[in-house]
Amino acid sequence: MSLPLPVMIGALAQAQANEVAPALQLLGHAGAPDANYAGGTAATSALMLMLAAAECAALPAREAAMAQAARALVGAAADGRDARMAALAADGSAAALALLAAEAEAEWQGIATPLGLPLPIPVA
Amino acid sequence: MPAEHLARFLGAQWGEPVTITGLKRFHGGSARQTYRFDATTASGRREALVLRRDPPSSLIETDRLAEYRALEAFAGTDVPVPQPLFCDTGADSFGSPGFLMREVAGGMAAGLLEPEPYGTHAAAIGRQLFTALGRIHAAAPAQAGLPAMAPQDAAPARLAHWRAAFDADRFRPEPIVDAGFQWLAANLPPPPPHVSIVHGDYRSGNFLHDGAGRLLAILDWEMVHAGDPLEDLAWACDPLWSNFSGRPGATLPLAEAISIWEAASGLTLDPVRWRWWRVFAQVQGLVIWISAAREVLDGRSHDPVLMFAGTIPYRFHALTLARTLESLK
Repeated sequence: MSLPLPVMIGALAQAQANEVAPALQLLGHAGAPDANYAGGTAATSALMLMLAAAECAALPAREAAMAQAARALVGAAADGRDARMAALAADGSAAALALLAAEAEAEWQGIATPLGLPLPIPVA
Repeated sequence: MPAEHLARFLGAQWGEPVTITGLKRFHGGSARQTYRFDATTASGRREALVLRRDPPSSLIETDRLAEYRALEAFAGTDVPVPQPLFCDTGADSFGSPGFLMREVAGGMAAGLLEPEPYGTHAAAIGRQLFTALGRIHAAAPAQAGLPAMAPQDAAPARLAHWRAAFDADRFRPEPIVDAGFQWLAANLPPPPPHVSIVHGDYRSGNFLHDGAGRLLAILDWEMVHAGDPLEDLAWACDPLWSNFSGRPGATLPLAEAISIWEAASGLTLDPVRWRWWRVFAQVQGLVIWISAAREVLDGRSHDPVLMFAGTIPYRFHALTLARTLESLK
């Protein structure tokens, strides 16, 4: 994931204290300047908390599976691999691109499943 | 945003005391803080207005004067936009740089994850949306006060822009983005026949409709620039903005959207440039989402909207770009 899970959890904790809790205080006060903002902030934060919880449960097994798949597909490039994987992909390595696509799909499923979202549908 | 601030500013502009009521901040829109309010003068004049001002931390760095000039260029034309009123590039008037425009009454915008946001009006919205885009592209950049650009610079300039943003904000290895940039650099497209106004973020969620099939206003011009019009068309047709419908902007079939855009712009879609800009759209998206995550990572923001951007759209585009690169090899 782009935003590392520990960072997201820490930021969410900060957001609860600094943004969501004050925002919730405004709910029900229609005349308060940020009451409109409060509901959206609280809802988005709740969505991210749900995703963070799902990630906590699924991440270790997914990363272990991806590392195993990387070793099978690209051998030594699987170890400390990201920069080498980029070079392989840029050089047109079908195996590297297939691996990156498979990893990206697994990462998408990690958040799409809790949200009930499908795989991306091409616009063609 | 204290109402007294706005009352003082508008009172000075209109030459009489002003009372502010109904001040509310809109949720979302990380590039700007957006508020609506009613301003009533001592003589009884009443205006529903919207303030857009810079936030302390932003998803993208943008130029509010360019956005304001773009609104001025299209206000009163057949490209529907909110009417701009005042702009202050300093912090004196609104606490940070920003501008005021008239509120578009009764408008609603689609959410990213909302299925079929226009219901049975999808095709009608699509016809208006891609007609308006074509009309924007038929206008010369000078009409919006944008600097001149040679057609051959359009793609390299945008590539360099987002490459610099990526190099500044990346915080871990990104093999898919690296591979995307390498493909784009190695396959630069031919220049467009002429340079157009490019909205820069033309997509579902960035326009208002009335819920009954009428497009009310094109919003969020903060990324406007001169360039290849296919940049806009590719972004508008990216799957991320299709609400999982397979149709651009969750509106019309792609071929129909392109045909409408061609008729309104007077341009013809070049398939070579089109392929390049569609890859570019995904790479640009990933850089935006990485920059959003970087804001959170560095502790400059705890806004859940930036966490959302750094997670859901990021993973969507990582997957679509990986698959696209596979198909290009």
